[in-house]
Amino acid sequence: MSWNKVAVVGAGLIKFGELFEQSYEQMAAGAFDAALANVDKGIDRGAIDAAIVATQRGTLWGQEGIGGNTVPSALGISGIPCTRVENACPTGSDAFRIGAMVVASGVHDVVLVIGVEKMRDKSAQEGLLARAASGHPLYTRGETAPVLFAPFATRHMHEFGTTPEMLASVAVKNHHNGCLDPYAHFQNEITVDQVLASVPVCSPLRLLDCCPQTDGAAAIILTTAERAHEFTDKPVYVAGFGVATDHPYLHEKSTFVSLPATTAAAQRAYEMAGVGPGDMDMAEVHDCFTITEILDIEDLGFVEKGKGGPASLAGETALDGRIPVNPSGGLLAKGHPIGATGVAQLTECWWQLREEAGERQVAINSGFALQHNVGGRGSGVAVVNILTRNRA
Amino acid sequence: VEDAAAMSAAGPAGRPMAVTPVALLGVGAAAPSLRLAASEVAAAWGGGGRGAVALCDADEDTLTLAWQAAVDALEAAGVGAGELSGLWWGTSRPPFAEGPSHAFLSTALGLDPTADGRLCSGSAHAGMEALLAAWDALAAGHARLALVVASDALVPGVGTAGEFTTGAGAAAFVLGPADPAGNGSGPAARLVDRRSRVMAVVDRYRGDAEAATGDVYDGRLFREEVFLPLMTAVGRDLGAGDGGPARWSLADPDGKLASAVARTLGGPLVSAPVQAAVGDSGAASALLGLIQGCTSEAEMSRLGTIAYGGGRATAVTVEVTRPVAGADGAMSRLAGGRPVSYVGAVRARGQLAPMSDPIQMGLPPAGAAFVRGNVEMLGLEGARCAACGTISTPPSIHPRCNGCGGGELTAVRLARRGRVQTFVVNQTMPPPFLAPLPMVVVDLDDTARIMVQGSSADAETLAIDDEVTLALRLYAVERGIPVYGYKAFRVARPTDGRPSDESDATAVGAGARGAGAGAGGGRR
Repeated sequence: MSWNKVAVVGAGLIKFGELFEQSYEQMAAGAFDAALANVDKGIDRGAIDAAIVATQRGTLWGQEGIGGNTVPSALGISGIPCTRVENACPTGSDAFRIGAMVVASGVHDVVLVIGVEKMRDKSAQEGLLARAASGHPLYTRGETAPVLFAPFATRHMHEFGTTPEMLASVAVKNHHNGCLDPYAHFQNEITVDQVLASVPVCSPLRLLDCCPQTDGAAAIILTTAERAHEFTDKPVYVAGFGVATDHPYLHEKSTFVSLPATTAAAQRAYEMAGVGPGDMDMAEVHDCFTITEILDIEDLGFVEKGKGGPASLAGETALDGRIPVNPSGGLLAKGHPIGATGVAQLTECWWQLREEAGERQVAINSGFALQHNVGGRGSGVAVVNILTRNRA
Repeated sequence: VEDAAAMSAAGPAGRPMAVTPVALLGVGAAAPSLRLAASEVAAAWGGGGRGAVALCDADEDTLTLAWQAAVDALEAAGVGAGELSGLWWGTSRPPFAEGPSHAFLSTALGLDPTADGRLCSGSAHAGMEALLAAWDALAAGHARLALVVASDALVPGVGTAGEFTTGAGAAAFVLGPADPAGNGSGPAARLVDRRSRVMAVVDRYRGDAEAATGDVYDGRLFREEVFLPLMTAVGRDLGAGDGGPARWSLADPDGKLASAVARTLGGPLVSAPVQAAVGDSGAASALLGLIQGCTSEAEMSRLGTIAYGGGRATAVTVEVTRPVAGADGAMSRLAGGRPVSYVGAVRARGQLAPMSDPIQMGLPPAGAAFVRGNVEMLGLEGARCAACGTISTPPSIHPRCNGCGGGELTAVRLARRGRVQTFVVNQTMPPPFLAPLPMVVVDLDDTARIMVQGSSADAETLAIDDEVTLALRLYAVERGIPVYGYKAFRVARPTDGRPSDESDATAVGAGARGAGAGAGGGRR
C-alpha cells in the first residue's frame, strides 16, 4: 500500500546546458514558468503557498549567500515562505521529499519545489577544484569529483570482471536517450569505440564516462492527493521515499563495489511504497559517471550484485529493455546541475508515468517509477523517491 | 685507541679543549627521486661534465629528504622517536625561510612535543653545526639520545656551472652515550675529536629572498685562496699526517676540489662515491661520506670528516670499529633515480612556472582547519576505539568511532605499510597538483583504512593488493606555504630512488644492520 498522500500536479524544466547568458534568477523563473504551464487545468502563480529551493553549492558561481530564500522574488511571488535545502548531489531529490512532507503535514497545501544550479559561471577547473579542497584539509587534497567514484570502478572491475566496454555501454545508451530529450545538454549519439578512445580523466574513467558541468533549473508543484484533481485529471502520487547516510569520506567506505547509502535508501522507499524493484516501469538514477549507474542498478535491486556491467551491455536498461534506466539521458547526457538534477529526474518520471515522453516513452505497466541520487564527499547520502500513477 | 671518556688536545689557538666522545648508534640516508645528467645540461647550455646529480621532484624538498633519512636511522638504531631527547637539523634551505620547519619535521617524525633540538642553517656548514650541537648537548648531559639530520637541495642558477654539480640528499644519525651497553663493549663508531676554523670570505652565496645559490668568486680564486687552505689547515689541526685520520670524507662544492685536499692531507677520499651518486648535497655532503666510511666494505679505522660552508670548516674524527647499523642500507638509497630532462629539472626546481594564477584551495593553509588538522596529518594519527578497536582517521573529524559509535577514543600513530584496496589515477589535476596523480585507498597493517595521494612513478603499474609504504611528501605550495602529507609508494625496486624498506635487504653487507640493531637493542 503506497503512501500517496501527496501528488505532483505540475512539473517542468529549462533546457540544460552551458547557460552563460542566463542568470541564476532567470533560470529559476524559466523552470517555474514551465511547471506552471504544464498544470493541465491551469494555476495562478499566486496559488503557491510555500517553496523549497534546492541549490547545492552557491560557491560554484561565487554566490553562497544568495539563491535560497530570496528565489520567490525572481519568481514574482515574493513574500511566501521559502527555505533552501542542501544535501549534496541528492539536494533536488531531498527538496522534493521535504516538500512532500510539508504538504502532508497540512501546514501548506500547494508547495513549489525548485532546483537551480549554476555550474559554469566559474572556470571548469575551478569548479573541479572546489570539491578537491573541501572536507578535512589534508585528507582530501587531490580529490576531484571523479576521484570519488573511479575507485569503485577499479574495484568492481577487479572483483566482477566488469570491462571498460560495459562502462561505455552506459554512456552510449544515455547519449542515445539524450538525443530524444529536448531538454538534454548533449544531443549526440556516441559509440563504445568513441568512449574508449576519449581522453583519460581519472583512470579507469575516460572523458565520456563522466557527466558534464551543466547549468539548469527544474520545478515541481505538489499538493495534497485530495486537492490534486483541482489541477489535473492525471495526477502522479508520491508512493514513498527513503534517505540514508553513510560515513562522509572515501577512506571510510566499508565496500568499493556498492554504495550502502543507496541500498538503505531504496529499502526504505520500497517499504514505504509497498513495492519492490520488480514493480518499477522505469528509473531515473544517478549516473554522474558510468560506473555509478552500474552500482545503482545493482544497489537498487534491478540486477544481481556484480551483474550491472553485463546487464548494461546486453541492453536490459535501454528504452525497450527489461528495466529502462535514465530515459531522459541521465546525468551523462542531460547534465547534472546539482540542485536541479533530482527535480528534473522526477519531472521525467512524471512525464513517463503520464505517457507524455514522446519518442523516449517507455512501456508503463505496473505504474511505478523510481528516482535516485547519491552523492556527497564519499557518497555519504542517497535519496530514493518512488512515484506512481495508481491512486490506490 | 684511547678508551677514555675524555681526551685532551691542543685547540686551534693553542687553548686546551676537552672532547667527550659520543656513539653513532644508527645512520640513514635519502636521495631525491630525479637524476639530471650532465649531458642534459650541456645540451641546453654547452660546456661539459660527467655523470648526473640528484634533484628533488616537485613533491620533495629538504624536509621530506630529512624525514626519510631520519626514519631509516631510527629503525637502524632500534630507537623509537618518542625516546629521543631532540632533533638537530641542519640545512641551508629550510622549507620555511622563516617558519615552523623544525616543528613540522619533529612532529612528522613523532618526537615528543617537549623534545629539544636545533635548526641550523645559513650555509652548507649547517649539517655539521647540527651534529656539533647535538654532540654538545649529549656531552653536557642535556640529552641522552639525539637525532641529527643534515639535508639539502641546493638550487643553482639557470645556465650556471652549478647545474652540473649541484645535487641533493640527506644524512641522519642517532647519537648516544659512548658506552651504550654499559658493559665496556663499545659502540660500532664514536665521534672522538673535532676542530673548526673560519675565514671571513663571501664564497658561495644566496641573498635574502633569492632563489638560486651562486658562486661569487672565480673558480681558481676560490680553490687556491679559500677552499684548499682552509680545508687543509683544519685537517692538519685534527692531526692529518701526525697520527690523525688517514681517510677522508670531504665537502666538495664543485666535484673536483675534495680529491686535491685528500691528496694533501694523505689518505683515500671515501666520500667520492657519494659525490658521484648525488652530486654536491650541500649540508649533507660530508656527512653522507661519513656514512660511506662506516659501511661493511669500509676500512675499520679513524675517518676524518670535514664540512665546509659560509667561510667555516669543521673537521671531525670518527673512530670506526665495526660497520654502523644502517650504513649499508643508507648507501643503497643513493643509487638509481629517474632520469629527468633539462626542462623537467628546471620545472622541478621551481624555475619554470605557468603564467596563470594557481587555483586557490577552498581550505587554505592559513585557515583554522589547518590548525586543527595539520598536526594529526604530519603525525599520521588515527583514533582507536576502546570498545571495538576500530581505528577512525583522522581524529579531529571523528569525535565518535566509525565502527560502533563509541566515544572513548585514543590517538594512535598509524602503521606506515599496507595494501591497496583500490585506487585511481587522476589525469586532470590542475596546478598546484601535477598529473598523473594516483589516489590510493590503503588498508594499513594496523587495520586502519586511509586514502592518500600516490606516487606519479607508480601511475602506470599500480594494482589492487600491491603492498605500499607511506612517506612524507610535499603536496603543494599554496599561497607560498608548503603543504605536507603522506603519499603511498609501491614497495619494490630498491634502486629506483623511492622509499622502500626492502632496499636494505638487497644492500651489500646487509648483515651490518643485524649487528647494529643488536647494539641498539642493549640500550634503554
